[in-house]
Amino acid sequence: MADERKLTILGKFFVFLVLAACFAGAYYLWTRSSGSSNPGVPGQNGTSAANGGTPATPAAPGPGSVSTPEPRTNANTPAVTIGVAYGTEKRRWLTWAVEEFQKTPEGQRITVKLIPMGSLEGAQAVIKGDQAINVWAPASSLYEGTLVDEWQMNNSGQNPIAKKEILALTPMVFVMWDERYTAFIAKYKELSFRTIALALAETGGWTAIGQKQEWGFFKFGHTHPNQSNSGLMTLVLLAYDFHQKNSGLSLGDITNVKFAEWANKLQRGVTGLSNSTGKMMEEMVQRGPSTYDAIFVYEANAIDYIKNAEGRWGKLRVVYPEKNAWNDNPFYILNVSWSTKEQRAASQVFLDFLLTERVQAQALVHGFRPANVAVPIKGADSPFTTMEPYGLKVDLPAVCEPPASEVLKNLLISWQRNRGGS
Amino acid sequence: MGLGLNLEQTRQSILGRTPLGVFLGLLLTVLAGLGGCEDPKPKPAAGGAGNNPGNAQAPRAEARPPAETPAGGIELVFPYGSEKKLWLDDVTATFNNARNKTASGKAITVKLMPMGSGEAVEEPLSGRLQAHLVSPASGAFIKLANAKSQASSGGPLVESTQDLVLSPVVIAMWKPMAEALGWPSKQVGWSDIIELTKSEQGWAKYNFPQWGRFKFGHTQPEYSNSGLMAIIAQAYAGAGKTNDLTMQDLQSPAVATLMKEVQAGIVHYGESTGFFGRKMFSSGPEFLSAAVLYESVVIEANEPGKYNLQFPVVAIYPKEGTFWSEHPVGVINKPWVTPEHKEAAKKYIEYLLQRPQQESALKYGFRPSDVSIPLAAPLTPDFGVNPNEPKTTLQTPSAEVINGTIELWRVQKKKSHVVLVMDTSGSMNRDQRIQNARAGAQQLIEMLGEEDLFSFMTFSDKRVWLAEELKIKDGRARLNQQAGGLIANGGTALFDSVYAAFQHLQQRQKPDRISAVVVLTDGEDTDSQMKIAQLLNEIRSDEEKKNIRVFTIGYGTEANMKQLDDIAKATQAKSYKGTPQNIRQVFKEIATFF
Repeated sequence: MADERKLTILGKFFVFLVLAACFAGAYYLWTRSSGSSNPGVPGQNGTSAANGGTPATPAAPGPGSVSTPEPRTNANTPAVTIGVAYGTEKRRWLTWAVEEFQKTPEGQRITVKLIPMGSLEGAQAVIKGDQAINVWAPASSLYEGTLVDEWQMNNSGQNPIAKKEILALTPMVFVMWDERYTAFIAKYKELSFRTIALALAETGGWTAIGQKQEWGFFKFGHTHPNQSNSGLMTLVLLAYDFHQKNSGLSLGDITNVKFAEWANKLQRGVTGLSNSTGKMMEEMVQRGPSTYDAIFVYEANAIDYIKNAEGRWGKLRVVYPEKNAWNDNPFYILNVSWSTKEQRAASQVFLDFLLTERVQAQALVHGFRPANVAVPIKGADSPFTTMEPYGLKVDLPAVCEPPASEVLKNLLISWQRNRGGS
Repeated sequence: MGLGLNLEQTRQSILGRTPLGVFLGLLLTVLAGLGGCEDPKPKPAAGGAGNNPGNAQAPRAEARPPAETPAGGIELVFPYGSEKKLWLDDVTATFNNARNKTASGKAITVKLMPMGSGEAVEEPLSGRLQAHLVSPASGAFIKLANAKSQASSGGPLVESTQDLVLSPVVIAMWKPMAEALGWPSKQVGWSDIIELTKSEQGWAKYNFPQWGRFKFGHTQPEYSNSGLMAIIAQAYAGAGKTNDLTMQDLQSPAVATLMKEVQAGIVHYGESTGFFGRKMFSSGPEFLSAAVLYESVVIEANEPGKYNLQFPVVAIYPKEGTFWSEHPVGVINKPWVTPEHKEAAKKYIEYLLQRPQQESALKYGFRPSDVSIPLAAPLTPDFGVNPNEPKTTLQTPSAEVINGTIELWRVQKKKSHVVLVMDTSGSMNRDQRIQNARAGAQQLIEMLGEEDLFSFMTFSDKRVWLAEELKIKDGRARLNQQAGGLIANGGTALFDSVYAAFQHLQQRQKPDRISAVVVLTDGEDTDSQMKIAQLLNEIRSDEEKKNIRVFTIGYGTEANMKQLDDIAKATQAKSYKGTPQNIRQVFKEIATFF
């Protein structure tokens, strides 16, 4: 055995295999520990918490584990976090968008923290100086005037808004259980604020309306005008509807005695007053016709939940008010002292991502009309095509102009006085 | 050259070259090490969907044993309304095993504490329990707790909540009884309950004389959600409304009358909806005709093989309206809840709301709060329920009105006549027994209503009646003093004393009162004339003429629990194992039956 032997070809090959396997294994471990930027590759999501494995990576989806996006850093560019205060009507779409964003190269260093807040709540938080908020994304521009006015009062005329872009649009709709809608129309011929006011005032309830004693009283809900954009929008459209106009809603219109009487009477019959439009839509589907016969919400909410409703109680019906308005879902990059240059730049990057065709197409899936005109509304898969039988329409008869902040303020005051406080 | 010869040559040539051999040996060791590290991504369970992070897979059969909180872990204390125990036990075990971590790397474990909804909010509110999150069965208890918290500390106990699962409050009734009332084609409600309660004929009116009178029950409204929902529903029914119940409504004679008439049919109250349900299902139609429970409890009852039901049980959704129990969960706002606790709690709540856990809730008879999950079995008529109900729901009133309704109930509720029978034999001098027993007795006296009647007997080898048929409002202070002054001495004539107490009540038969004996003893019977078999015979309940409940407390280690269990069972009551540490709690729970 002491003879010198030469390595055969097979032997050399075997050695080569062993060395190659070692290097491959080392490389594999190294790529896993530094995080992979390869979306859609299974098993690349890092170690499982269950094994107490390599730290600083998101937990793998083992049973019972919950993973939340955590800041990932590359050695080169600095990580930045931005807080986006957003209206809950966009929850499903935005949650998906953030997840997708985190998979992009830019999403590696920019962490987006979504902070769900009622539209007005978000404005008030900014005014109070909530340092967690770099972007304000309410349901509509209704409160823009209020934010700017109050901010300027305390900050010597400085404009708190660096940039404004529209993300997606959605009008208001009545959503009603189809069975109840049929009975309602048989008596009142149409579903509108005027007929709703009549139904609410009906002391005989559904017995008088449609000989349906087991349906109890007529129940209509909208959100709290002081906490939610759709609630305030309800008051605005009530006023426009009463005065039969599309623009120039004035203080005189609000203080008009006949209008006040009619609106107050209607309001006294309203049940629910949730602080969130999304939550109210969800409650309607969870609890069924016994809780609400009809509610006033965003078209996007209705689209989002129509299918779910069938798995619980039955068909829903969507009806557009004669006088409508756009909720334009603005994205405001804030110009405030706690927002750094990097954060504003990062906000712009995220905004650009939200306006890409792919993300805008997903907004359509959740029922929003995309701001990006390259995305067609009436494609074959679009909810506006598939859900037409439920009453969905692309064209709106009349769209109203948002009133001045002074008018809004007085609408709220009048509502509050009537309800006896919050 | 043949391959085999080559391999042998190769092996020898590799190993023969010492430096290369050492190097390769090291490499092989490294390889072995790498091979030993498993790919930690588990195989998807059957039916598991997608690779979305955060999508927890269904719990697998080969679950690992429950993790202990390791040093550097973070524990969340979670008191909750016990209706959802089976579901939470299931999904939380999986969560705890997965060792989810906070941002700082601490593993999260959740400590589940099932109890009545009232207690679940009271314990953290008072600071007796340092809980981090809470979930009573309904938002009513959150409202009550927040109002109390606002008044005492200026802030709410729980700021925001999310609904976990939903289940409507129903009247659970034996199917043939419900059919006798016209169910399901006719809508049944509180008005039918009242008619039945008032009727002397009882079920004989419907050709079922063997079931006797109509007997009904719901839990104590201050401790248990279903009981609270029941009395608010009665108030709404009396006022003829479905929302906006006001203090004014509570003052109307119609509301007081309806409540009183419903309450007259009650057999007893109690602390736990689950206990009520189990009692009803295992004791049969002779014990209870109906009880206010949850839809999920009715589903559980009808599970094949679970109970030996004489008849199926069905859920009646009262036509005047009912409530949803929506099981809200929220983080507690107290100094012991750190930001890291909040972060951990948020993760756990997120987990509970994820689809697999929500689908699991459906299995346990709950309607998932995730509306993307359509209702399916067991939410079907063959489990006694109707997914298209309830047709009318009621709005939860303000905290002020809720408290007002409880006050009204205290006046209108069924009154009791309770005989407390306390062992004062010599052995009670040991281990602080008599001292703690005094405190327990005082607890019971404190919790009884003004109009309840109280009789007080102590026994050793002799019996002493300290009070007979005393109205609480006339003698609460005195009774308290007497309880505080008990002295121990002598033997134990248990059976004779129990029988004497029983007879005391029998002779003063008051069909409009809950009649009960509460007996505490720390030892075996040593001095009675009567034997256990004879006693059981005498006291056994027939639910018509004889329905005096005998609650027994076996105190300390020498008590004969078997005999005490038998006594309680014979009278459809409950027995307890008491210790000097838990005796106050035991008396507290017994008090909820009245």
